[in-house]
Amino acid sequence: RWPLKAKTEHGAILMHVDPRFTRTSALCDIHVPIRAGTDITFLGAIISHVINSKRWNTDPFFREYVANYTNAATLVNPDFKDTEDLNGLFSGMSEDGKAYSNATWSYQRNPAPAPSVTEAKTFTDLLLQKIPGRPKTDRTLKDPHTVFQIVKRHYKRYTPEMVEKICGCPKEKFLQVADTLLNNSGRDKTSNIVYAVGWTQHTVGVQIIRTAGMLQALLGNIGRPGGGVLALRGHATIQGSTDIATLYHSLPGYLNMPDARKNHDTFKDFILTESVPLSTSYWGNYPKFAVSYFKAQWGDAATKENNYGYDYHPKITGDHSHLPMFVDMMDGKIKGFFVMGQNPAVGGQNARFQRKALAKLDWMVVRDYFETETSAFWRNSPEVTEGEVKSSDIKTEVFFLPAAMVSEMEGSFTNTQRLLQQHEKAADPPADARSDVWFTYRLGKQLKKMYADSTTDRDWAIKNLFWEYDPEPAEVAGFRIKDEPSAYKLLKEINGYNWSDKKPLPSFANLKEDGTTVCGAWIYTGVIPEEGVNKARNRHGDDWISPNWGFAWPANRHIMYNRASADVQGRPWSEKKKLVYWDPKGEFKDPTGKIIIGKWVSPSGEGIDFQPTKAPNFRGKDNGIAFDWLSGNDPFIMRADGKAWLFAPAGLVDGPLPAHYEPYESPVQNLLYKQQANPVAKTWKIPGNPYHDVADPKYPIVVSTYRLTEHHLTGVMTRWLPWLAELMPELFCEISPELAAEKGIKNAEYMTIETARGRIQARALVTRRMRPFLINGKTVHEIGLPWHWGWQAQAAGDVVNNLSALVADPNVTIHEGKVFTCNVQAGKRGGAA
Amino acid sequence: MSPESQAPHWEWYYIAMYFYIGGISAGAYFIGSLVELLGKDRLREVSRAAYYLAFPLICITPVLLIADLGRPFRFWHLFYYTKDGVPYMNYTSPLSVGTWALLIYSIMSFLSFMNMLVADGKLTSPFIKKLHDIFSRIPHKVYTAVGSFFGFFVAGYTGVLLNTTSRPLWEATDPVIGALFIASAASTGAAAIAVVMAWQNIQAEEAFNRIEVFDRTALIIEFVLIALMVVVAGQYARPLVTGFYGILFLGGTVVLGIIIPLWLGWSGRRPGSAFNPVMLNAVLVLFGGALLRISLVQAGQMK
Amino acid sequence: MTKGMFVDTSICTGCKACQVACKEWNGLPGEPSHFHTVPDRPYRVAKNFTGNSYDNTGNLSATDWRHVRFIEQFNENRTEARWLFASDSCKHCNDAGCLNACPVKAIVRTDMGNVNVQQDVCIGCKYCIPSCPYGVISFSEQTGTVHKCTLCNDRIHNGLGTACAKACPTGSISFGEVAELKKNADARLAQLKKLGLANANIYGYNEAGGLNVFYLFIDDPSVYGQPKNPVVPQRRLFRSAALTVVTAIAVAAAAIISFRERGQQKNKGVKP
Ligand SMILES: Nc1nc2c(c(=O)[nH]1)N[C@H]1C(S)=C(S)[C@@H](COP(=O)(O)OP(=O)(O)OC[C@H]3O[C@@H](n4cnc5c(=O)[nH]c(N)nc54)[C@H](O)[C@@H]3O)O[C@H]1N2
Ligand SMILES: Nc1nc2c(c(=O)[nH]1)N[C@H]1C(S)=C(S)[C@@H](COP(=O)(O)OP(=O)(O)OC[C@H]3O[C@@H](n4cnc5c(=O)[nH]c(N)nc54)[C@H](O)[C@@H]3O)O[C@H]1N2
Ligand code: SF4
Ligand code: SF4
Ligand code: SF4
Ligand code: SF4
Ligand code: SF4
Ligand SMILES: [Mo]
Repeated sequence: RWPLKAKTEHGAILMHVDPRFTRTSALCDIHVPIRAGTDITFLGAIISHVINSKRWNTDPFFREYVANYTNAATLVNPDFKDTEDLNGLFSGMSEDGKAYSNATWSYQRNPAPAPSVTEAKTFTDLLLQKIPGRPKTDRTLKDPHTVFQIVKRHYKRYTPEMVEKICGCPKEKFLQVADTLLNNSGRDKTSNIVYAVGWTQHTVGVQIIRTAGMLQALLGNIGRPGGGVLALRGHATIQGSTDIATLYHSLPGYLNMPDARKNHDTFKDFILTESVPLSTSYWGNYPKFAVSYFKAQWGDAATKENNYGYDYHPKITGDHSHLPMFVDMMDGKIKGFFVMGQNPAVGGQNARFQRKALAKLDWMVVRDYFETETSAFWRNSPEVTEGEVKSSDIKTEVFFLPAAMVSEMEGSFTNTQRLLQQHEKAADPPADARSDVWFTYRLGKQLKKMYADSTTDRDWAIKNLFWEYDPEPAEVAGFRIKDEPSAYKLLKEINGYNWSDKKPLPSFANLKEDGTTVCGAWIYTGVIPEEGVNKARNRHGDDWISPNWGFAWPANRHIMYNRASADVQGRPWSEKKKLVYWDPKGEFKDPTGKIIIGKWVSPSGEGIDFQPTKAPNFRGKDNGIAFDWLSGNDPFIMRADGKAWLFAPAGLVDGPLPAHYEPYESPVQNLLYKQQANPVAKTWKIPGNPYHDVADPKYPIVVSTYRLTEHHLTGVMTRWLPWLAELMPELFCEISPELAAEKGIKNAEYMTIETARGRIQARALVTRRMRPFLINGKTVHEIGLPWHWGWQAQAAGDVVNNLSALVADPNVTIHEGKVFTCNVQAGKRGGAA
Repeated sequence: MSPESQAPHWEWYYIAMYFYIGGISAGAYFIGSLVELLGKDRLREVSRAAYYLAFPLICITPVLLIADLGRPFRFWHLFYYTKDGVPYMNYTSPLSVGTWALLIYSIMSFLSFMNMLVADGKLTSPFIKKLHDIFSRIPHKVYTAVGSFFGFFVAGYTGVLLNTTSRPLWEATDPVIGALFIASAASTGAAAIAVVMAWQNIQAEEAFNRIEVFDRTALIIEFVLIALMVVVAGQYARPLVTGFYGILFLGGTVVLGIIIPLWLGWSGRRPGSAFNPVMLNAVLVLFGGALLRISLVQAGQMK
Repeated sequence: MTKGMFVDTSICTGCKACQVACKEWNGLPGEPSHFHTVPDRPYRVAKNFTGNSYDNTGNLSATDWRHVRFIEQFNENRTEARWLFASDSCKHCNDAGCLNACPVKAIVRTDMGNVNVQQDVCIGCKYCIPSCPYGVISFSEQTGTVHKCTLCNDRIHNGLGTACAKACPTGSISFGEVAELKKNADARLAQLKKLGLANANIYGYNEAGGLNVFYLFIDDPSVYGQPKNPVVPQRRLFRSAALTVVTAIAVAAAAIISFRERGQQKNKGVKP
């Protein structure tokens, strides 16, 4: 809706980069078809085009923004070697070629400052003693070791011609996109880039998005209205669930999970390991966030003496994300499994493998609305119906519990732009259906009861778990279910409050590291600024930022790093793009009531993502941490150097700069480097998960999987609904007339798609919206499969993920569902027409 | 033209047959009454056969009409608007006007029918006699005239009804079908009379000849109208002149139902030819008339 | 007071939310013909994959009062690449063929100008069906009557907009006073013309006496399956009736000739 408003009312130009011509393409001004998995080439070439363009080099805006707000000027360790030097590898690759050490990716730094404190009473003191020297810089960007020069060299060979060869998209189209972006960026214009899983689901997923981030930083499109790189996140409140840490490796608020592989032996080790590298950013407050989190877990039981319960907190021992978890399950390492809000029998990569892994469990609890494929795998999965597996041999005991729907519970959604919005409970769920909160709360209580009089130390965590969310009578008045946990109490704990008087905290600045504050997730602090007030309920929109609609974490900041919306002197870049700027005469009353002259202002009501009174020309203290260290022109306050990173000295395991690697399964060789695919991609070379070779003649066709408007993910929420079932009744495969003719496949008839992992059948949808790509003179066909179907429900079809493989991005272990290779033929799976 | 317009899915054995039988009845009644009005005693048999045909035939039609309704038991809504509680007719709807005409025509044909029975002394029940006496106050000619008028209506409106839709064939053939159905009603009506008379082997040489003459005229008019229809419809006539309905229409209606009878009639009267084609002719004409309705109604509903 | 809808197909994303919203509000089931029963499945399974772009419902029906069309316009080398979407429904014609045709006044026009079928009056004669130039109104075996879009009669008479317009995420369907809507339509048309869409046109201003639900198309109406110059069938009533009467007279004349007094020159009746 909004992009179309922008287009029809403000003449915005919409450009869509997608292998297929989709419903989105239909509404855009420009559609650019590129072969799946080649975005880094495309974006890298734009970067090269931009920084070598006349406009970029003449318009002072770009220079001022890039030299001051990004790490372009920072000098990198002379030992650093780029992929240009090592033919596709960066310096620091281990002997076995399995992992990088990022030692050589570091900054050149001045000597460390003399510590301001001698003895360390607090964690903060510890950090103060370990502050690194400031990075060396060359604001002229001339020094060959500057990030800027490195980036320039790195993308030198990413030319329009190379784009044509690798992506298979016409040079002219590429230039059209590059120039449009460039011309639409600057002082009084900004462009933004929107992506979702077309970019993430790759073995180079993280690096694709980084490339976009770099481009936007170079174009001065970050921290400014209308700019940014926006992820369109998937599930309802998937953002919220990451914030509150469904991810195995993080604690709420993006603190890291205690990890047996790191130096996390003691709480002190944990704090130091995690926060020293970040101490010069706002993360310098890590100790306060962490202590408040542990305090929230165990309340009174968490004391300074017992390290706030840290020693009883579970630690991870490796990668426990979805794919490795199923590999472990297959190895029999996992006995029991809770499935709440997932349907891996359909949505999981190499679904056949994942279903077989389920059969290795002792027990599985599924909470859902309908009998999902996952809960029915033991009786009618393809393996069973095809006789490969016998139901009687599956020992897994499956418990199916009815779940409540979102409208049957109160709570808040955090959507993709970090906006919390409260929703009411409309009605009680039917019969025995209950919310997951209800179930989990009950389970916790039950466990506490069972362990109540256990004396063994390891049960401490359960026994002392602070677990009190019983609703107030008023909250459940008018509902049948009287023991639904209190959504308010949960959110209040997440927001944080003083342990003593239980008063909510208005801001994370109020958090303490002495155990006097509890806070479930520091980034949410402020959503309940005072007792009874829930900003997530706010519903006053305006025609712009709408600060009074819901609550955007952190501290109602909608545009992060918005200090960058003003120039180095703190003046708005332009009247048109005014957001946050410095008012030298502005009076600021600090909490003590003292008046300070000079402050940042934000007429739109947007939260200011900066220290309210730090002057633009303020020079950070070399021996301070957090805000003290950051200068007045360091907008990127969560970065250890306050700059946007074009070059990532840390945080990534596959290189400081994005380089084009072919998808793990690709019909073509990498034209840019000898290194074919991401050298450190996560792979599982195990039975049941075979891979295809590069340019494997048996599997010459590229396949990409994606969604349809008519269905939701594994379809459980849509395929059971006749209204939606009839809109997209059956699994189909989008295929170009050219390939269809070659394979004798007819529109609307059945075709078979095959990989080393499995075979499925689908109805053919022959359409010119799909096109063959000319890759370096060779025709490469790509087909498309919407993956919503399973064998259950009113719209049934084969499981597309029976085709895909377990292979993943090394940073976040996201699978490569967006691109792999396959072969196709006419007719049904069984061979019948 | 409206390619997307939907077909009503009328069943041929209901609607087409209704059009057909209604046509025969009306055609026969008209001829009968005309002969009576012309007051020719020598042709008395013609009117007699006509009246005996008209009423029983028209009695079948409502059954067919109603059987095709989605809500048969609401058929009376056709005459009575329940919301206002008053009789209702929609002037812009041939179907509405037509059913009223059908009603009036039925009554008239009933009276003529009764008249005949009484005249033939076939009616003895005192009640009916009483009834008849009452109606006899109105001179018979009056209601035969009225009856014939509405008879034409019944025969014609079914065609107009088809023409005033958006189905490509029916729209394209506008305004010919109504006229065509009139002609067909006349020819089939005459044929029906002939059949009845022949079957009752009534010896009335002249009657037969005159009927045949009239029938021929009607057939010629019909033929001309069909030609006209196909011409005005142009490309949209395809469903009618090709495929299954093409065979029914061209082979059945045109060749068997018109050309052959005309030819037989002609050759039949050549001096010296012994063979008298009356019966065969009549049957062919009736057959052709049926196929005309069926092919037009069904072809018009093809996707 | 005449309400209607303006469908700006140029900003339709083909999401079909309108189709679903219509069914939801009006309590319409999945189209029965789209489903079939499958052995050992306790529920019916959809079987209506058409292969016609993303359109699997095909047309308007007694249970589909809305239908989104998908039109793919691609040349061989994809230099011309366009995918058009258009959401269709009853047009609530000012001069409604269906209403004109109904013999029993089952179809009526409300004070807001929308054309409705009174389910308790309809006798299921199906004559309105071919009388709609746009193939909208349809028969239901279940009820034995015909059904179509009501312009959300219940909603609009209670101060709400239509369900489809409400659900439409892009504002492609807008509900309101026809006069108001026409202003917006003209403005949007002008905008598109400026952007060089020469074929852009508004369908429903003059067509068949004007449609209260009208469209902005960016290509010829026939591309969107709409009749080029629709005629309300009843406008042809007189013509048709006239010829019929003439023929009737001709036949009568022929009859009189054939049966008149002097039966001798019977041959005169015809030119053999
Ligand atoms: N109706 C509906 N809405 C949904 C969902 C749903 O299932 N149904 N799912 C929700 C969820 S969980 C998520 S994560 C989001 C995902 O939202 P999207 O990311 O839009 O999801 P997809 O359709 O899988 O992928 C988008 C496009 O990526 C293209 N693509 C494939 N490979 C590449 C590539 O290498 N490069 C580029 N540039 N494009 C590529 C595909 O052709 C596809 O058109 O949608 C959310 N919204
Ligand atoms: N090949 C391929 N595979 C993919 C993708 C792809 O693009 N290509 N996309 C990936 C992506 S982005 C995602 S997000 C995953 C999604 O994969 P899944 O999350 O496994 O799929 P969903 O259908 O979203 O499963 C959610 C389930 O939760 C149920 N549910 C809904 N609300 C509640 C609730 O309140 N409580 C409980 N207990 N259950 C509830 C629903 O009925 C449904 O069964 O699939 C991934 N798989
Ligand atoms: S569009 Fe068809 S159904 Fe709708 S009012 Fe007009 S004629 Fe009647
Ligand atoms: S089907 Fe119903 S609404 Fe249509 S014309 Fe017949 S009676 Fe009227
Ligand atoms: S106006 Fe109402 S009834 Fe008509 S299509 Fe829209 S939602 Fe359906
Ligand atoms: S809801 Fe709106 S955008 Fe979606 S298909 Fe319908 S009209 Fe088009
Ligand atoms: S589900 Fe549909 S309506 Fe809801 S936010 Fe997503 S796109 Fe919009
Ligand atoms: Mo997702």
